[in-house]
This record gives sequence, structure tokens and C-alpha cells, in this order.
Amino acid sequence: MRWLGIALVFVAAATMIAGVADLPVHGTPDAPIHRHVGARYLEHGVAETGMRNMVTAVLLVYRGFDTFLEVVVIFTALVAVLALPRGAGKAGPARVVSPSGSTAAATSDADAVGPQQADVPVSPVVFFVVRLLAPFIAIFALASLYRGHITPGGGFQSAAIFGALFIALALVFGRERAARLVPVPARVWLQALGPVLFALVAFVGWCLTGAFLGYPADAAAHAVREAMVVTLEVGIAVGGAVILAQLFMAMEG
Amino acid sequence: MVLFGLDLDYAACVVLFCLGLYMLVAKSNLIKKVLGLNVMETAVFAFIVTAGMVEGGDPPILVAGTSPPYASPIPHAMVLTGIVVAVSVTAVALALIVQIHAHYGTIEVDELKELP
Amino acid sequence: MSAAWPTLLPWLVVLPLAGAALVPIVAVGQPRRAGRFTLFVVLLTVVVAAGLVWHLSLTGPFSVSLGGWAAPYGIELRFDRFAAWTLPLAGLFAFVVPFAWRYLDGTLPPERWAVFYALLLLNLGGLLGFSVTADLFNLFVAMEVVSLSSYALVAVAGRGVAAWAALKYLLLGAVSSLLVLFAVGLLFTLTGSLNLLDVTIRLAAGGPSPAANLALASLTVAFMVKAALFPLHVWLPDAHAIAPSPVSAVLSGLVVKVGIVGLLRVLELAVGSGAPLEVFNQVLMLLGAIAIVMGAFLAIFQNDIKLMLAYSTISNIGYIVLGLGLASPFALIGGSVHVFNHALIKVTLFLAAGAIIHQTGFRTLSDLRGVARVMPQTSAAMAIGAVSIVGLPPTAGFVCKWYIALGAFEAGQGGYGFALVFGALFIFVYYVRMLNAFYFQQPVRPEVAAAREPPWSMRGPVLVLAALCLIMGILGGIPLTFVEPAVSDLLLSMGR
Repeated sequence: MRWLGIALVFVAAATMIAGVADLPVHGTPDAPIHRHVGARYLEHGVAETGMRNMVTAVLLVYRGFDTFLEVVVIFTALVAVLALPRGAGKAGPARVVSPSGSTAAATSDADAVGPQQADVPVSPVVFFVVRLLAPFIAIFALASLYRGHITPGGGFQSAAIFGALFIALALVFGRERAARLVPVPARVWLQALGPVLFALVAFVGWCLTGAFLGYPADAAAHAVREAMVVTLEVGIAVGGAVILAQLFMAMEG
Repeated sequence: MVLFGLDLDYAACVVLFCLGLYMLVAKSNLIKKVLGLNVMETAVFAFIVTAGMVEGGDPPILVAGTSPPYASPIPHAMVLTGIVVAVSVTAVALALIVQIHAHYGTIEVDELKELP
Repeated sequence: MSAAWPTLLPWLVVLPLAGAALVPIVAVGQPRRAGRFTLFVVLLTVVVAAGLVWHLSLTGPFSVSLGGWAAPYGIELRFDRFAAWTLPLAGLFAFVVPFAWRYLDGTLPPERWAVFYALLLLNLGGLLGFSVTADLFNLFVAMEVVSLSSYALVAVAGRGVAAWAALKYLLLGAVSSLLVLFAVGLLFTLTGSLNLLDVTIRLAAGGPSPAANLALASLTVAFMVKAALFPLHVWLPDAHAIAPSPVSAVLSGLVVKVGIVGLLRVLELAVGSGAPLEVFNQVLMLLGAIAIVMGAFLAIFQNDIKLMLAYSTISNIGYIVLGLGLASPFALIGGSVHVFNHALIKVTLFLAAGAIIHQTGFRTLSDLRGVARVMPQTSAAMAIGAVSIVGLPPTAGFVCKWYIALGAFEAGQGGYGFALVFGALFIFVYYVRMLNAFYFQQPVRPEVAAAREPPWSMRGPVLVLAALCLIMGILGGIPLTFVEPAVSDLLLSMGR
């Protein structure tokens, strides 16, 4: 298998380098990639979309349908993982190990908060730092969402930061406590926010402009455009964050 | 950087892709295979973003502090979507590996092939 | 009113996808509602598709620019005669969903029904999106929706065995998806655009280039994996056989066609770009012919009926790819219509097989002997499907294979015509084996002797589909004449 692998890799490398060698050298401003579509976005983007972050403009306005499909993809991942049979049957309450190494019943310590809550042995330093930084991380994620159209950031970035925060909290506080952050009845609604809000905003755009996911162009409709963009970003961020959290919770065993 | 007429940054992406491919094909542990897949994905993203950059340019955010030439925004959007797709594939792959481990007790392909 | 239909094109894709997000919400507390709601969404999608096809037949191909941004500055969806395939695509889902209502009773615990139906809707939405998009990157993401939902659908009912088959499918499929992304990146770097038509024009203007050839080769390999074309077919038999039967029907009948549509797009891209189209066609013809014979041959030795059907899929994909590679009018028409006909027949066969497995609990020919005595209707449907796929007149399969054979001789490639004949012989052998076991042998298993016909929600779709196989054989001319203008346009652009 190994020799087949090496042979395959060499063939692939040779073919790919031969093809890639033909590309114009990257980094030159007059390469085909910087003219045509990209140039038009950079030239007219601010006027046409009201945003300064051209990447967000491409994601939400010019190629919004791609972003819709992207939101659908991550939703598909969640549904896929949820569709699989649950764990190995050894899913149970979080095993509790105190820093001294002895185990204690989970119920007696259910309300006490400390390093002994974690599923795996956690040093008090890690516990303290995560606890200290968690609110700031959350604020940073919110800021990334809120200012995503004028600075680097946006819906998915925010979702990723929230998701990572959830995982850190789950590792440190124990899965059960972290799972309370996403209440069970709300899960089916929150995870659907991405595709559903997108479809709604696209429908509104269709009614207003006749084009799917079209944004009203006149200056007077500036507030409507803002509202549509913010709804999409919130849908992506909250939906994505909840999906990431659920993906983590679903990986048992 | 161009060396002997070959764009080294592109070549590095190709090499990374092939390293990931080797990991995927030659390693027996399923998690390592998934890691190889991730390396391949990263290589493709690096390739796409590299293609869109401009030497000495600014990120495509048109605020007071930046000026032309800007990097192209489309590769960034493509890679953002690509990362989400990669995360999704990895999540499903890992969930499947959890199932396999629960059923067979192993995640080594060599051992899996032995079993009925 | 008629002028408004094109604007509905994006909703063709969005309806099933948004519907999938709603299924878990709808099904809270009442799992059975998930199945009903899913059928409702599918039927709505069928109505939209029908309207779009009707509009197409009145005014010809049309496209929609999403968000009002004209291509190539925005994403363009195009509905041409090949995209009319979305109507039977959605229609076949409308048969699979009711079948699953009772089938799932024994296969999945009720708490997972909602996500199963959600996966089916996501699969449908992705397939529709893939079929109507004219944008390269959109193609990639739609393909990923299809792939991810397929991987999960394979593993949903089984335990480790199914997960292992699904993971093999995933690893190979993810590599092929990466190849598509790499190719899209290459093409974008070369042309600065992501729109299919725009990229084709720019590639043609640029002349022959190794980078463009690499991109096209990359796409070809990727779609060969998706279509399970020899030698990249290894993931298919296990995945399709282990999946629950409604899923096998969708995978073998519909999802595998993603690779075919992809290859068609590669053909469109390559035109005029100076890429070696001749090599491309030769490779397709050769691999297609090998797939025909090998798939059919291996099917003969299978005892498990689902494995047999899976190898039969590999063989039939060979037929379609051979038609693509021959690139002559008859062959292309036959190949394109076979995409639809094989879908219809394969769904019929897998659903009928699924009904038999569900009622008797057995899946091998040796165990299922004599099942026709106790399940005459379902077995008749299976027999009709078998006769159709062998290609005997007056069934659906006959016309397409006849056209492809004609196309082989028309293109001067008579040798490939013989591959067709051999393939047909082998197929004939294994289906005769199956029908012999069902009809002309005594039941050996008491469970088989005691089995009865499945409930109507499973039996109805199977019987209607079997009837459609017969009808499409008689009315076989209609899809052929429908596809003909698109094929001649394609051939014209290829310079033939």
C-alpha cells in the first residue's frame, strides 16, 4: 500500500506541477484574476452594496446563493451526524475526576463549580484562564459579527469563535453544564436559523426587486438593505454556532 | 517567488497537497487518513488564496487605511466557503469513525480488513 | 403569468433545502409528521419543476441571474433541455418518500426519522442545484451538499459495517471534491471568472494551455469517481448494497448521475479550449466499455440482490459514458436519455427489492427462492424492471441501448458496439438467474413462504413505477426528441 501511495503521489505531483507551472506568476496586479470580475467588485462594490469589506460583499450580495448553500452544507453535517446511531452505549453522566485523582459521584458536586467538573483531568490554571477569558471571547465574537462589513469578520468567523468557546467551556466545565447553554427545546429552531433566515431574506428580496436575494438599490432603501444583511449575518452566526456546539455534543464515545 | 521559471508558492501548495494525499493513502489509522484529507484541503485553500494576492497589496477592505492595489476578494470568499465545507466533511468523517470504533473496536485499516 | 416562471428557478433549489431545515421542527413530538411534510415539500418542488419544463418547451432555454447581478458578476442559473432532468429527478423522490414511511418502521428508531427525511430533502435540493447552476463554484458547493447527505444516508441504518462502507465512500468522494475545487481555482486563476459560459469563452480565446488541461483532467477524474466509472468504482457496491433500500434507490438512480452531468459540463468547458478532446473521448469510450462488461460480469456472481443491482449500476453507467465518449448524435441522445431511463428503472428495482427484503427478512437469491408465489405483485414489478434494464423491447431500456449501439456504428467504432452486446448478454444471464429463483423454484425459507405483499404505501410506488417503465418504453420517442436539439447544439459547438 505504501509503495502504491508513493507512486500515486509522485504521479500526482508531477502532473500538477506541470500544469501549475503554466499559470501566470501570482502577485502581479495585471494577472487575469485581478481584472474582469474582481476588478468590478473592487471598483463598484462600495457603491453597489454599501459595505466596505469586499469579501463580505461578495459573500452576501454578489454571490449570496453560494453562502446559502454553504449554510446548508454545515446544516447537512449536523443532520448527518445526528442521523447516525448514538454512541457506543456507554454514554452516561460525565465522569468526574478531582485534581487529587480520586473519583467522586457526579451528583454530589453538581452545583459546585471547579476543576473537578471536567470530563478529563484539568489543571486549575487552565480552568481559571478559560473562565476569565470566556466573556471576552464572546464579546470578540459578537464584535466580529457586528463589524463584519467594515473590518475582517462576519457571520462564519463569529460562529467559529462561538463554537470554539463552547468547546473550551465543555472541556473545562464538563459536557452536561455546557449543554445547558443550548437548551434542548431551542435546538431544532436555532440550528435551522441559517437556511431558514436566508430563504426568508431571499423571499423579501424577491418581492422587493423581482430577483432572488436581490437588494433594493435606491438610496432610500438603505435601512432595508442593512436589515437584510444583518438578518443574514445573525442567521449565519447563531445557526453556525449552535450547529458547531451540537456537532461537538453529538460526538460521543 | 520564482525559481527556475517555477512559481515556488504554487509548487509548495502542490507539494503539501501530495503530502496530504500520501497520508490519506498510506497511513493505516483512520484518524490519520482524515488528517491527510485536511492537509489536502488546506493545500487547495492556500493555492486559491495565493492566486488572489497582490505583491505589496492591501486586503480588500476599502477603508481609510487601505489603498489599491487590493487583493482579489473572490478567492477569500471561495476559501471561506471551502473551510466550512471542509469542517462539515471532517465532522461527518469523525462521526463515522466513532461508529466504526464502537462496532469493531479498532480504527486501523489493517485490522479492519482482517475482520469478516 | 408565463413570463414569471423563470424567476421561480432559484426556488426549485431553495424549497427542498429550506424544507429540510424545517423537518426537525415540524417533527417535534410526532415523528410521523416528518414523512408527510417531506412528501409535501417534494410535491411542491415537482410542481415548480413541471412549470419550468413547460416554460422551457414553450420558449426555449432560459437563465436567471441571482440577486439581479448579471453573469459573470453574479451567479447564473440556467435551465436548458438537459436541466429538464430535474423534473423526473424530483418526481422519483416523490415515490421514494412514501415508500420510506413504512420501510423505516423496522429500520430506524422514530427519534431519527426526522433527520433521515431531512437528509433526503438535502440530497434532492443539492441534486437540483447541481443540475441547474451555470457557475463553477456553485457547482462545487451543491455537489458537496449531495455528497455529505449521501455519506450519512449510507450509514444511517447500520452499525459499524455501514459506517465503514460510508467512510470509504467519504474518503474517495472527498478527494474527488477537492479535485473539483482545485480545478475551479485553476480555472479562476486563468480566466478571472467563475461562470461556465464565460470561462469557456475565455479558455478558447487563450488557446491551449497545460494549466487548463490540468484543470479539465482534474474535473474528469473527480467526476469519474462520482459516477463510479471504472476503475474508480470501488466505493459503490458496498455503499449501495448496505444502505437502506430507499437510499440505494436514490444513490444508484440519481446521485451517481452527478458524475455524468459533471462530465457533460467538462465537455462543454473543453470545447474550443484547445484541450485534447479526442483523448478525453477515447478514454471515456474505453473505460465505459470496460465498465459495461465488468459490471455485468461481476453481477452474475452475486447472491445478494442488492449487490447485484449495485454492479448493474456500474454497468449502466458504462453505457452512458460510452455514449458520451462516442460523441455522435445517436450515441449522445441515447446516453442522455439513458440517464433518465436508468434512474427510473433502478429506483423501481431497488424499491421492489427493498419491499421483498422488508417483508421476508432475506436478501440473497438462495434464500428468496419462490418469493413470487407469495408476493406476486412486487415480483412482477421486479420482473418488469429486470426486463427493462436488460433492454428488451418494448421497455424503456431498449431504446437507449439501441441508440447507443447505433451511435457506435455511426461513429465508426464498431468494436464498442460489441461491448454493448456482450454486456447485454451478461445482464440477461443474471436477471434470468434472479427471475428463475423467484418464479420457478420452491421456497426454502419458512419466512418466505409466510410472507405477504407489503403495505400500500410501499406497494403503490413500486407498482406505479413498474407501470412507468412499460409506458416509457412505448412512449420512448418523446424524451429522445426532447433531448435532440440540445445534443445537436452540443455537437455543433464541438465541431462535429
